[in-house]
Amino acid sequence: MKHSKALVILAWVSGVLLLWELGAYLLTAVIRDPMAGTKLPYPQSVVVTLGGNWRTLGQAALVTLSKATIGFALGAVVGYLLAVLMSVSRIAEQIAFPYLIVSQMIPVLGLAPIIFNLVRDMDASRIVIAAYITFFPVAANSLSGFKSVETDKRQLMYSYAASQRATYAKLMIPSSLPYFFAGLKIAAPMSVTASILVDMLGSKSGIGVKLLYSLYGGQVDIFWASVLTSAAMGIASYLIVLLAERVCVPWRTVALVDTGVRHE
Amino acid sequence: MNMPTVEAMSGIESRPIIDAMSFIDHRAKAKNLINIDHISMIYKNSAKKEVVALKDVSLDIKEGEFVSLLGPSGCGKTTLLRIIADLLDPSAGSVRIAGQSPRENRLRQKYGMVFQSPVLFEWRTVRKNVCLPLEIMNVPREERERRVDSQLDMVGLSAFANSYPFQLSGGMQQRVGIARALAIKPDLLLMDEPFSALDEFTREKLNEDLLDIWHKTHKTVVFVTHNISEAVFLSDRVFVLSPHPGRLSSVIDIDLPRPRTQDTRESPEFFALVSKIRKSFEGVYRLS
Repeated sequence: MKHSKALVILAWVSGVLLLWELGAYLLTAVIRDPMAGTKLPYPQSVVVTLGGNWRTLGQAALVTLSKATIGFALGAVVGYLLAVLMSVSRIAEQIAFPYLIVSQMIPVLGLAPIIFNLVRDMDASRIVIAAYITFFPVAANSLSGFKSVETDKRQLMYSYAASQRATYAKLMIPSSLPYFFAGLKIAAPMSVTASILVDMLGSKSGIGVKLLYSLYGGQVDIFWASVLTSAAMGIASYLIVLLAERVCVPWRTVALVDTGVRHE
Repeated sequence: MNMPTVEAMSGIESRPIIDAMSFIDHRAKAKNLINIDHISMIYKNSAKKEVVALKDVSLDIKEGEFVSLLGPSGCGKTTLLRIIADLLDPSAGSVRIAGQSPRENRLRQKYGMVFQSPVLFEWRTVRKNVCLPLEIMNVPREERERRVDSQLDMVGLSAFANSYPFQLSGGMQQRVGIARALAIKPDLLLMDEPFSALDEFTREKLNEDLLDIWHKTHKTVVFVTHNISEAVFLSDRVFVLSPHPGRLSSVIDIDLPRPRTQDTRESPEFFALVSKIRKSFEGVYRLS
């Protein structure tokens, strides 16, 4: 099991690198495109740039990532509480859900300048936008988690004359956690992307600024190194959520991996 | 709440050894625990047509008695159990449990329920699953631990206390469900086809285990099943229900001696009772 997983990852990474190398070679050596360096530089030259500029790139990434994380956490809390509210009260669900859907139809690109105009602060805008992106997938997934609790389990709690508070604490909330994490996994890379987008709308710091300036300034290697950094940020955010899920919802992951072991 | 328990009132607990004859004698004198009086249940199905799930069912169940509600699907046996459990309200008629309504009975946490599926919480270990109702009832920690230990011992799962449900076989999971139902020391145990998803060998084993537990605890048990030999093997009385509409078609006294074992299943009396009940169904189907 463990072996084949490592093999898959190895095949993926080397496959991507190989294709990239091949593409860059085609552009420079075969097609002899004079703009080859801007279109697709060699991966090794990007890695060298990454190594040479890791401090500034890392600082820029940290600015964006820290705000994205705060917004993400905020959005997750708001989204989950909203799901709890909607699952407790049908009327609350009927009132809130259309707003949730509509909120998803406003493009972030349009919303970000509006938010910036309102709060007049880059960091606050980043946080608000990341939260805004996060709360919907979290709320929608968690709500579906609450709704998919088996009837028998609810009736069991009812048969014990359990209070609503006890029913939520002992049944509804633990049952909804896998769904909550499904929402988080969707939202994490999205909130990072949204924060990068906000960087580009006139910020002075952040990885989005690096992307924009290097693109316009013709610093191709810096641009590609920034792209790699951004991608790494998205992947890292996803992996962190995945790790948190393993810790918080062990029964789910264990059951999936280890169904072969049965006693009796 | 210092009311005398059913066991104390009936004096069953004071007898140290289970003697088959005295047990049956004793039951003859026992009071009724459950009175079901002209219960009807009418559903509206998805096409808004009325479906009569139960029609005018009346029956009494004695304290300490093991009864089965037996019938094919659609006979309303599960519906009747759920009415007793206050999971459903009947359309007409009344149910009294020790003089109380099903709701009062439920709010006082007087019954334990075992469902068709084990209904275990997958994020809780076996121990914590059995502990669940005790936590809800705010039983002090030490008392909780003590009761969980004794329940797990009774169903033979002490070695698996710290396992998770997915690590257990179906039969073991259902035992955890039984231990959980008994942990609150209910007067009444309601079982809704608890062994119907298990294979025949496991089912027979669990039937015997259930009777062992019943002999030890003297609960009143209402057991829903569609398996004739299971009903005969377990019960003092079998209420045979027939479908469309669900109604009580006959009551069969099972006077097989206790304790019942694998030999009971081989006895001519056992076969005679099984075949008697099977014949009563043939009558029902010819009529409908």
